[in-house]
Amino acid sequence: MSTITLTLKIWRQQDRKTKGRFETYETGPISQDMSFLEMLDVLNEQLTLEGKDPVAFDHDCREGICGMCGSVINGEAHGPEKETTLCQLHMRHFKDNDTLVIEPFRARAFPIIKDLAIDRTPLDRIIQAGGYISVNTGGAPDANAIPIAAERAEAALDAAACIGCGACVAACPNASAMLFVGAKITHLALLPQGLPERSGRPLDMVQEMDSQGFGNCSNIQECEQACPKGISIQNIARLNHEYLRAAFLSEE
Amino acid sequence: MLTSSIGKKTVMAISGAMLSLFLLAHMVGNTTAFFGREAFNGYAGHIHDLGGILKLLEAGLLFFLLAHAGVALLLYLENMQARPERYAVKKSSGSGLIAQTMPYTGLAILIFLIVHLANFHFTDRTTPPSEMIREVLGRPEFALFYIFSVLAAALHISHGLWSLFQTLGLSHPRYNKLIMTGGIICGIAVGTVFVLIPVLAVIYSGFLL
Amino acid sequence: MNLNPKIPPGPLADKWDTHRFNSLLVNPANKRKFDIIVVGAGLAGASASASLAELGYNVKTFCIQDSPRRGHSIAAQGGINAAKNYPNDGDSIFRLFYDTIKGGDFRAREANVYRLAQVSNNIIDQCVAQGVPFAREYGGSLANRSFGGAQVSRTFYARGQTGQQLLLGAYGALMRQVHKGKVRIYPRREMLELVVADGKARGIITRDLVSGRLESHCGHAVVLATGGYGNVYFLSTNAMASNVTAAFRAYRQGACFANPSFVQIHPTCIPVHGSYQSKLTLMSESLRNDGRIWIPKQKNDTRDPVEIPESEREYFLENKYPAFGNLVPRDVASRNAKEQCDQGKGVGETGLAVYLDFAEAIARDGRETIRSKYGNLFHMYEKITAGSPMEEPMMIYPAVHYTMGGLWVDYNLMSSLPGLFVLGEANFSDHGANRLGASALMQGLADGYFIIPATIATHLAGTELPDIDTGHPAFQEAENRASLRIKKLTALNGKRTVDDFHRELGLLLWDCCGMARNEKGLRYALNKIPEIREEFWRNVVVPGTNETFNQSLERAGRVADYLEYAELMVRDALARTESCGCHFREESQTEDNEAKRDDKNFSHVSVWEYNGESSAPISHTEPLVFENVRPSRRSYK
Repeated sequence: MSTITLTLKIWRQQDRKTKGRFETYETGPISQDMSFLEMLDVLNEQLTLEGKDPVAFDHDCREGICGMCGSVINGEAHGPEKETTLCQLHMRHFKDNDTLVIEPFRARAFPIIKDLAIDRTPLDRIIQAGGYISVNTGGAPDANAIPIAAERAEAALDAAACIGCGACVAACPNASAMLFVGAKITHLALLPQGLPERSGRPLDMVQEMDSQGFGNCSNIQECEQACPKGISIQNIARLNHEYLRAAFLSEE
Repeated sequence: MLTSSIGKKTVMAISGAMLSLFLLAHMVGNTTAFFGREAFNGYAGHIHDLGGILKLLEAGLLFFLLAHAGVALLLYLENMQARPERYAVKKSSGSGLIAQTMPYTGLAILIFLIVHLANFHFTDRTTPPSEMIREVLGRPEFALFYIFSVLAAALHISHGLWSLFQTLGLSHPRYNKLIMTGGIICGIAVGTVFVLIPVLAVIYSGFLL
Repeated sequence: MNLNPKIPPGPLADKWDTHRFNSLLVNPANKRKFDIIVVGAGLAGASASASLAELGYNVKTFCIQDSPRRGHSIAAQGGINAAKNYPNDGDSIFRLFYDTIKGGDFRAREANVYRLAQVSNNIIDQCVAQGVPFAREYGGSLANRSFGGAQVSRTFYARGQTGQQLLLGAYGALMRQVHKGKVRIYPRREMLELVVADGKARGIITRDLVSGRLESHCGHAVVLATGGYGNVYFLSTNAMASNVTAAFRAYRQGACFANPSFVQIHPTCIPVHGSYQSKLTLMSESLRNDGRIWIPKQKNDTRDPVEIPESEREYFLENKYPAFGNLVPRDVASRNAKEQCDQGKGVGETGLAVYLDFAEAIARDGRETIRSKYGNLFHMYEKITAGSPMEEPMMIYPAVHYTMGGLWVDYNLMSSLPGLFVLGEANFSDHGANRLGASALMQGLADGYFIIPATIATHLAGTELPDIDTGHPAFQEAENRASLRIKKLTALNGKRTVDDFHRELGLLLWDCCGMARNEKGLRYALNKIPEIREEFWRNVVVPGTNETFNQSLERAGRVADYLEYAELMVRDALARTESCGCHFREESQTEDNEAKRDDKNFSHVSVWEYNGESSAPISHTEPLVFENVRPSRRSYK
């Protein structure tokens, strides 16, 4: 097992209002089998024993599905590996004596809570505006009552795979949330269950998205490059399509 | 609806489409320059003969131009505000480089347009168009300015065309490659034709004589 | 202590119906007068919050993460069971009931498990209506697969991310109620105390994890859906924030804890590879459908696995259990892997791993077929270990995965403390001593969507609930308790970190109260735990203050509770001298080293009542009565 040492330049910010700055840390030997977050754990243990404030960062499942973790590593959201969340990024992708600049996801809509931890509740608010099918518990018809072609279900799942981590916003030069919204709109637009609310949903969700302070999509495609679940900008095209259809062609 | 983020992008897409159509028509028209002064002046004469329709087209063009540039400015400012604190290090994946320069190529085109109109539109219109070209573009500094501006326009439209399909939601995995390639071909065509004119004006003394 | 399970009378199949008919109802117009507190927003918490709000109750939902979409249910890979019998292969509600109760080694209540099987079908209907994109057949109908050794195909799935899709369905339903103003979400909150006023659960004290502020919340009922306690072992497949604090604080306030020693250890996880490791990653059990488990016959064989000839490999599960082979239940597979490694035949750097080999399946079905079945799992394995299961055998080892034990609840899912309801993994009710694959998602959603909405009314309508608010002295007392503990923790300035203590505790439990337990080890642990706890409260270092976003303080509080909870676990394991399900007592085994259950003495739920900090908890039992099935011996030979 080989070990490396790294220079870390980490964004430290006490809270939402205080001004932040970069601090530089030299790590001890880091095993290349560690995950990126385990490397931060080791740093934090070291800082704690030195009587310093450990680095705050969000994380939970550490298996790439909860969407809680994420930072920008040397200018890339979730780091250099494609389709990989930060918790699944392993240190074998770095070299001895590398310098890593670690910053939080930055966007007006994602205020910094502390250090690398950010507030992503605006994404929840967008979903609240209509990112669901309005059905109460009980009274659902038999699950096989509506046949759905296998390919269509798979395509819906491709979109529904979004973990809500916000890397798309972080990577977008405009801090736009269109990939996040596009994924949810696509998931529901592809399924027959989503059709009754087809006209209202994109209008409501986009209105909420705009009011949360995200930027506008300029079709730059950085979002799909950063997405740990490989969600394509095809979803944004579908969102545009669904939105314009609802805005100009809907009879409701 | 037009004030929403997607609404604004739609305005950009539609006005962009109109401006692109004009540019493509302009490009096709300008190819007459390669067939000598008669062909070129004849083409220009036909355009002038349109009279009232021409005025209407010009007004339309101005409208789309103002809409495109105005909304672009608005979007640019909004997008700047969406990330008040910039990244210390930001790496681009590369695929979006042209897209990211759209505001700047757009600005270049706008400046060019002003110069271009001053040169050819708001000027003494009694001179034959072929003479005007020889006069203006025969000067190397102008030719160079034209060449750079045309390259900016070529980049702008090569991304813009694909982008407008994406924005209008006219996207399908089967045709996306085609649309993207189409945009690039248009960009190259626009670039080639419009670059050739100043180049010829400078290096070939018999151009349009 | 009143531990009446309140199982309704009548035939098994009619119990749930009868019960609902005999239960009290809250008038639709009155529902808006009741406030319900739901702690946790995983499958059980989110589905309960949404369903209760749809009925008209006012719901406050608390979650520890930044969003209710992140509960650890999201990580469940394999699928969700239901007795739909779509494949026409002989499944039925009774068969799902039987398999579940047998899988739990006859340590669960018949009535609860039968109800679970009954509502399983409604769950699938509900989720499909919400737009959960389950896998489909080419004709458009839902696809099913056989899972975890079940003899019928009853598992519904969405690739390897079923839990995620189900949770996002419940999250959507929850978000809809937030939009309607019926649910208020409190993210980044940790419940630190339960408030009991006049003998009933009436509220909670939470800490706002961002500001450190303590907050009091009052309601007419408290619903805990806070998951299991697997992280007591430090290393587990649980998420980092999964913890026992909410359940344990409720236990200290008088809610009894049932079967705390029942912990499921999942056989197919990526092995531990260093002391810095923070968690273990599960590889779906479905891998055992095609993968063959083996170890080298020779001890300490360090050859490359592909160089070890067939004759020198030991396929220990296939040899020992010819009928089920590699598909024996989780507990059996785990225990046998441990046994082999204990004999020194384990592989990998630490010697704590066995091979899971796809070479034969690849040769039989072709690379493409295997890749299409397991591609995403192989990809995940490759990301973590840098090894490719297409080229060389995977290495796996068991890891703590799920806890069957939990707060004791009756048929209404109400704990022994009136007004406190417990759902999902946090309660003990349906899985007995061992949970079958694809049953956890089913139980979480059954509890949340269908059971609590029907059973909570009995409490609300049938109990005197005086009009109190957070000004009631019980809130002040609870807040003081929480605040005192935080002050004590932040004042500590010792030499060891929180994780260091947690790791020590985890290792001790893994060795003494893990896959196999014996009296000697358990007694050792029972002595050792108070020592670690004593040192913790003297020598831990908690940096920073309470008034900030302080993740070290959060962890310190949780580990402090684990240090008490671990003792309860060990006590329970010590008291249960039989082997059953995941609880393997070495003293109780058959001649061929299989688990020996003792129905005569242990056909009961062990229930523990808190009895103050300085005295041992009081032990109770709830006898299990089997009227419809005959407890048989689980044999997979």
